[in-house]
Amino acid sequence: MAKKDAKPMNDKFDNNGLISDLSNVLKQGPEWLLEKRRVSRDSFNNSPLPPRGLHLWRYTDPQKFINVSSTATDSATVGKQPSQINSDLSESDIPKGVIISSLSDAVENHRDIVEPHLYQLINSDTGKFEAQNGALWDNGLFIFVPSGVTINKPLHFQHVSSNAGSNNYPRLLIVVGDNAELSVIDEHLGAENNSDAPYYSNGAVEIFGYENSSVRYANLQEHSAKVHTFFTHRARLGRGANMLTATMSLGGLLSKQNYGVILDGDGAESNMYGLAFGSGHQHLDCHTLQHHRSSQTNSNIDFKVVLRDRAESAYTGLIRIEKEARNCEAYQINRNLLLNKGARAETIPELEILNEDVRCSHGATTGQIDPMERFYLEARGIDPSEAVRIIVAGFAESTLRHIPAEFRQGLQDAVAQKLKAM
Amino acid sequence: MNPKPLLDIEDIHVEVEGKEIVRGITLKIFPGETHAIMGRNGSGKSSLSNALMGHPSYQITHGKASLNGQNLLDLSADKRSRAGLFLAFQYPMAIPGVTVANFLRAAIKARRGPEADMSDFRKLFKKEMDALAIDHSFATRYLNDGFSGGEKKRVEILQMAMLQPTMALLDETDSGLDIDALKTVSEGINRFRSDDTGVLMVTHYQRLLNYVKPQHVHVMINGRLVKSGGPELALKLEERGYDWVEEELSRSTGA
Repeated sequence: MAKKDAKPMNDKFDNNGLISDLSNVLKQGPEWLLEKRRVSRDSFNNSPLPPRGLHLWRYTDPQKFINVSSTATDSATVGKQPSQINSDLSESDIPKGVIISSLSDAVENHRDIVEPHLYQLINSDTGKFEAQNGALWDNGLFIFVPSGVTINKPLHFQHVSSNAGSNNYPRLLIVVGDNAELSVIDEHLGAENNSDAPYYSNGAVEIFGYENSSVRYANLQEHSAKVHTFFTHRARLGRGANMLTATMSLGGLLSKQNYGVILDGDGAESNMYGLAFGSGHQHLDCHTLQHHRSSQTNSNIDFKVVLRDRAESAYTGLIRIEKEARNCEAYQINRNLLLNKGARAETIPELEILNEDVRCSHGATTGQIDPMERFYLEARGIDPSEAVRIIVAGFAESTLRHIPAEFRQGLQDAVAQKLKAM
Repeated sequence: MNPKPLLDIEDIHVEVEGKEIVRGITLKIFPGETHAIMGRNGSGKSSLSNALMGHPSYQITHGKASLNGQNLLDLSADKRSRAGLFLAFQYPMAIPGVTVANFLRAAIKARRGPEADMSDFRKLFKKEMDALAIDHSFATRYLNDGFSGGEKKRVEILQMAMLQPTMALLDETDSGLDIDALKTVSEGINRFRSDDTGVLMVTHYQRLLNYVKPQHVHVMINGRLVKSGGPELALKLEERGYDWVEEELSRSTGA
């Protein structure tokens, strides 16, 4: 690993960017968890950087995450949680048996549920930076919805990087029982008071939707301008389970997100709608995985990208259908809208289909705003910049409509804000 | 009598991709008047209306055009619209993700200003949809996205009714309409007509003119208005086609 000139300021890492000190996170928690953390640490320290030849890392340099994670300071410590639950849910909205808790409390108090799920979908085998989160996660949340229980209002988690310049390793574990229903908004916000400070965020989200459950998960990435963020999401669906995933990526200087759904029971269905909007010199990298392991499973991804200025994006989407997964349908579409010359969008679809009994398609388009669409709006008296705003809002609508209504306006405003001063 | 023309165009020439399509048109439309320009496909009728609206593919290379005394050619398309010009498109664009209601709200806001009271919008919108027999579900449908030809034309006229321009250019508004839709759309156009407004219909069929009766009919051939008359001219064109106009034209220029 390359040596760096700058002396690390971060006491968790040594000069080579390896995790040297786990004492903070090893102070707390049961032995089974500490062992997981040690294994993760060793995996992170001993594994090479991901090869750039893989599609997953073709457009984003992993060394950048090593550099920033070992130089920016951490101030979040275990037990001091920058994440908070922001919800208008009152006690009476939370049905009996539902658990909403910090993950560090949950490993102590709900080991029977947590241990069989935590690290099951995202662990040191997933990748080097997933192992980094596995070793260092420090502000986690845990949600459990028992079988047959429905929470009617969306649950809202807000991860605010309250200390400017501090690294954070959020981790979310969601377990939804048979026939249960849950809607979650997972919002990652930058520090408002010092938006120029660089920091690093490495998050992991594991979601389990058991038989015939219905889960809606929305991820809103609104980090501040100089953040490097790495994020991995994996959801596993049981028989007949249904999952809706909506993702908005607006912030950060370097953002690499990886969303994956594993259809692991017959008849499971996943729909995913993503929007990334890059401006300035942002680099937004997103990978999606549709992994069919059972028969009669359906998955659909509609991923959109808007870019302006010198922003760049990379979308890689993998559809994998296992040999034993019969009669599946999988669709993927990636549309990229470039608002000016100088912005650049890359797209790579990948198919790994191991049986022939499937219906599957993928497609990608990259283009600019159709001048005829713009003229149509202008011919109705709408000024040119407002016409662009309306067309982009229309482009974003296919994702926004899947986000709970109470959050939509804020996101539309955030999109409008990004279009200002064009 | 108001002696000032509403739309005043003088020796307008229009190029598309470097080719001259409209080759010197002069036309005055006074308040309260309805004119029709008839001609075959390719005669330049649509190019004239698109160019007047400010379509980026149509360049006006020569001539003058004003609306209520205001020079249109200095204005961008959005300003021409706000000045009172309206074009009902022959092929309206689909704008995915933008609902008819949100689009119209934005267009009306653009006229009234960002702080304007919009509390009457819903009522007005419903009223005009009802008048054009447009199902209310269209309010939340994406603009022209998956609409049939007839639905698109109705929604064009809906926009005209909502935006209340002073001068409407209607480009082949009758095409793609069945007889019931033609009647509904014509009624919409007739409601728009008043002593203060002007209408220019561009069409190559007479049938719309049975319902929306123009005072003046012009024949366009090869980018020029070659003959003008009253409503009887449209009937004659319907009956005898355009050949006799061409023959007349070649006789007069050949002589």
